[in-house]
Amino acid sequence: MSRMDYYKPTSLDEAWKLKKLIPGSRFIAGGTDILVKIKNREVSPPALISLRSISELTGIQSGNVTRIGAMTTISELIQHRALAVKYPVLVEAAGRLGSVQIRNVATVGGNLCNCSPCADTALPLLVLEARVLLQSPGKEREVPLNEFFVGPGESCIAAGEILTAILLDRPAPDAQATSLKKGRVKMDLAIASVAALLEMDGKNCKKARLAAGSVAPVPLRLYQVEELLENGPITKAKLAEAQKLAVKSISPITDVRSTDNYRRQIVSVYVKRCLEKLMGGNP
Amino acid sequence: MKAPLSFVLNGSNVTAEADGSTRLLDLLRVSLNHTGTKGGCGEGECGACTVLVDGLAVNSCLYPALEVEGKHVTTIEGLRTIDNKLSIVQQAFVDTSGIQCGFCTPGMIMTAKALLDNNPDPTDEEIREVLLGNLCRCTGYVQIVESIKTAASRLKENR
Amino acid sequence: MKDFRHIGKDIPRPEAPDKAAGKAVYIHDLVRPGMLFGKIKFSDHAHARILRIDTSKAEKLPGVKAVITAYNTPELRIGFVRDNFALKKDKVRQFRDEVAAVAAIDPHTAAEAVGLIKVEYEPIPGVFSPEEAMEPGAPLVHETDPRGRPMKDNRHPLHYHHESGDVKAGEKAAKFVAQGEFSTQLVQQCCMGTAGCIAEFDMNNNLTMWAKTQIPFLAQRDFNQALSAMGLQNKNTRVIVPTLGGGFGTGLDTHAYEYIAILLAFRTGKPVKIVYTRDEEFANLSPRQSSRTKIIQGCDKNGKLTFRHAEVLQDNGAYTSWGATYPTVMMMPATSLYRVSNVYFDAKLVYTNNTYCQAMRGYGNPEFTWALENNMDQLAEKAEIDPFEFRMINCNQPGETTPMGLKVSTCGLKECMESVAGKLNWKKSRSQKKQRGIGMASLIHVGGGGRIYRSDGSGLILKLDDFGNVNTYCGGVEMGQGLHAVLILEIAEALGVQPEKVFINPTDTGTCPWDVGTHASRGAFMAGNTAIMAAKKLRDQIFEHAEQLFPELAAKNLKKYQKKHPDYAPPDFDIKQAAKRDRFDLVDGFVFLKDAPSEPWTRIELGALLRAIHFREQGQMLATEVFYDPPNELPDFEKGYGNMSATYAYGAQGVEVEVDTETGEVKILRMVAAHDVGRVLNPPALKGQIYGGLAQGVGYALYEQLQSERGRITNPNFRDYKIPTAHEMDFPIELDLIETNDQFGPFGAKGIAEPGLVPTAPAIANAIYNAVGVRIRDLPITPEKILAALEKLKSTKD
Repeated sequence: MSRMDYYKPTSLDEAWKLKKLIPGSRFIAGGTDILVKIKNREVSPPALISLRSISELTGIQSGNVTRIGAMTTISELIQHRALAVKYPVLVEAAGRLGSVQIRNVATVGGNLCNCSPCADTALPLLVLEARVLLQSPGKEREVPLNEFFVGPGESCIAAGEILTAILLDRPAPDAQATSLKKGRVKMDLAIASVAALLEMDGKNCKKARLAAGSVAPVPLRLYQVEELLENGPITKAKLAEAQKLAVKSISPITDVRSTDNYRRQIVSVYVKRCLEKLMGGNP
Repeated sequence: MKAPLSFVLNGSNVTAEADGSTRLLDLLRVSLNHTGTKGGCGEGECGACTVLVDGLAVNSCLYPALEVEGKHVTTIEGLRTIDNKLSIVQQAFVDTSGIQCGFCTPGMIMTAKALLDNNPDPTDEEIREVLLGNLCRCTGYVQIVESIKTAASRLKENR
Repeated sequence: MKDFRHIGKDIPRPEAPDKAAGKAVYIHDLVRPGMLFGKIKFSDHAHARILRIDTSKAEKLPGVKAVITAYNTPELRIGFVRDNFALKKDKVRQFRDEVAAVAAIDPHTAAEAVGLIKVEYEPIPGVFSPEEAMEPGAPLVHETDPRGRPMKDNRHPLHYHHESGDVKAGEKAAKFVAQGEFSTQLVQQCCMGTAGCIAEFDMNNNLTMWAKTQIPFLAQRDFNQALSAMGLQNKNTRVIVPTLGGGFGTGLDTHAYEYIAILLAFRTGKPVKIVYTRDEEFANLSPRQSSRTKIIQGCDKNGKLTFRHAEVLQDNGAYTSWGATYPTVMMMPATSLYRVSNVYFDAKLVYTNNTYCQAMRGYGNPEFTWALENNMDQLAEKAEIDPFEFRMINCNQPGETTPMGLKVSTCGLKECMESVAGKLNWKKSRSQKKQRGIGMASLIHVGGGGRIYRSDGSGLILKLDDFGNVNTYCGGVEMGQGLHAVLILEIAEALGVQPEKVFINPTDTGTCPWDVGTHASRGAFMAGNTAIMAAKKLRDQIFEHAEQLFPELAAKNLKKYQKKHPDYAPPDFDIKQAAKRDRFDLVDGFVFLKDAPSEPWTRIELGALLRAIHFREQGQMLATEVFYDPPNELPDFEKGYGNMSATYAYGAQGVEVEVDTETGEVKILRMVAAHDVGRVLNPPALKGQIYGGLAQGVGYALYEQLQSERGRITNPNFRDYKIPTAHEMDFPIELDLIETNDQFGPFGAKGIAEPGLVPTAPAIANAIYNAVGVRIRDLPITPEKILAALEKLKSTKD
């Protein structure tokens, strides 16, 4: 690792100032991704600006709109009682991120800003239709998460912006969500993952939200599948169609972790399994 | 640029210097000569470098040294009692053969300690879940899980 | 059966408390005054000519003390066929080729300096599979052999062959025949402590090496040859072995990085440490050899094997280390697992521009057993015989001599297989539904040393001190397997002292007696036999002195005792008369006369007797050195004949799996491992060896593969090279340790370090076949392969 400076601003204003002052500097949240990249010489910033000491970025406020501070660690997230009740799918999926040691430092904001197609918190947040709060000096904007990811390692964050919080609306009373992740071993980056949310009115599907991970340049909403499922009963035939549409919507690659074919198969099976689970096993 | 740093290491105040490239692992092993903590992979996969920061298990290879400012860091060296005895968790690993080559052991024990501090009566499944981040190539984990269970029951007796 | 005082007892490992405290000193922790840090510049190509190496920028970097290349250092040839060099000149033949190296004041500066070295290459087309390498006109990996004679093609000079009986006749006699081609992958040993060394010269130009080695004495020989090549004639190397963070075969050869450290230390006059990072270890340390095996077997109508025909092809990589000798061990199961009298075995190796390979636990045995035990199930199916019954029909027996000339002293294979079948409830479990199935596989392995060198010997020195302590110097290496714990028990038992009185000194060629190395599951077997020899010699010495000194000491004892107990009347017994050397015994650290009445004063503490021997005119200190070379033979590997081990270990493993046919995932539900261990010496250490072997076997079967693309390793980290975690090993394992009490084994024991992983993969494969009807022939058995096979099965059924 080459020599690097390290700054620990205690306010957003200070962080923005430093970022502007030091060209090429990078923000660091939990650091579990960027420090690996630095070790592997994939990036070599002259300075790191730590967001750990900025109190504005911490804390979880649960209300009509739930606000999760970007620097909330994954451990804090999964141990939060209100979140576990309101958004069990988020807690379930976040609990699959790395090891205890990683979860104790990795943050939800960092996980999103890393913009990996396999980000574990991205899928549940996508189906929950989360928004992210992006702040820059004197300005802030809310961006739906599905518009946040632009490409591998790329988001719509503008220079000088900081993702400060994740915002979640109160879930509809009859909404249910679940997720599945496939790794080579249990602690792994997903080689494919799926999350699904259904709002059912009896047999009728009022709302469907699905997302797939590690099968496209970004964590992907499966809009076509959602459209297919909404406004009608989810029959066996529709389920099979949903699987096919899901596979059509993704563009997986073959790499050291898995093959494109296998990833398609997993997405197909997991779409089915997630939906079956949400419907109590009987489409 | 190196910056001064002070924190509590195994109960004692220490001061040191570090810059942005200094990992907590380097600070402990090189600057502070605490070589009990091992470096295994440098990217948070193997857990050999596990230490506790304010009671939480973290990979010291992915922890910027400057972030421990003002915090409490516990390493394997901090578990021994002052009369040169092993702690209950350490002794359980010795007695239940949870140790072979021993390179993963300090990290394993720190993870086990963090677990037992929060959950005095873990199930097998809970033990295996927290061990996900601690690789061992020698034991197949059987005797490590047994060691942690031994430690849990001895800790209970001691309470 | 003899009652043992210590053998078979649980004692914690002597080194465990220091390891638990973080006090054990690994190579990573060792610091020498003035020490520099070495770093190697590896090749950027799989095959290329080196046109120019520009080290000028690196040399100018502050903190850099030396930059070396093959062009400014003496040529150091390495490897047992001498086809490799510490630093490469003219051309690189694999990505991990060492082209330059740096010594600097800290690791960071060394890494930066390596980054400043510029090498110009002219790439040459490479060959990355045996097929490619054998094509007419394929680029040559080596233009000349180590003696400088031109190479015609990429065929490796080593060749292994065995023929016995009449295979043609066996084919005719066969009613059923099954064949298959099976392959195994490159696997990294994944020691948790990476490889490293420190090289330091004294002012007489003798070298001290702290090395992560399993062969300190052969390493000493290798390093001394390097010193000669450097112009340091008649200089010596002292090899000291620090605490090892695992071995698994990585320490069986000497490595280019060690020679580079030596060159840097000599150049700078400072101690130089090189320790691999994890990615360096994955990319640049030789992994387990891969293999491809074509096997055909036949049996008669009763299921008796009539012949076995096997051909092995190995991708040797660019240079030669012990990976090239795996067939020496493959021959053992090929000729001797199950009874078969007509056997053909042939193994060839081909040079390629891939990474070259070294030893790993099991050393060829898991590779061949993978093919053989899959094929046994295939043949059983053809013959419509239950695979367990089929194996029992062909089971090895005690007392037999196998086609390779292996002399089977004891053999618990039958008991092992019966145990597995019984514990798995075989018959019933074979016909389960819900994608569940069971399978088994067996093994034979060397259990009494393994002669692959002109000596298979081990020495031991026991030095007694004034306090009755037994200071032990053993050339074997403790690398986590529990050698020291077992050695302590063996010495305590054989000598008659308490285990707490036995102290084991660090392994050091300067102080310890010669040992060929800690490999081939030989550590505990060899240590035990030396312990028994040494104990006998020491006891003879002790008892000889006791003839003269014991009566006096006993009399003093009695006087003291009577002072405390004035009414005590000693029994009528003439100690002086009875004190004959053959009438003494030593138990738990006390010397006494076997015939004497057991009175408090008739037992003399060993330390007291030793002090009496020491502190008198012409006093003496007692110590002994022994050397044990087991009764085995160095086989002729081109003929495939010779009794390579004094005794053989057997075992069988069974596994129950559930296969998710939609995702291809395999869940292991339980495993049974029954092993003929001869005798259990230290139960927790023994169990640890089997559990650990099983876990490596599970990784081999399901998860692990060092992947490469045109010679470049593409997953050099734990992120993408997955070994089993505690979760993957989350199934019940039932062990059955079967004691056959072998006549050659110390206290009856056989070596047991490697067998745990040998049959694991085929047992899992056979269980998967039983569960869902697909047989995966190339390891690892990934979900991707299972799904593809299920698809194929479905399409052939439709």
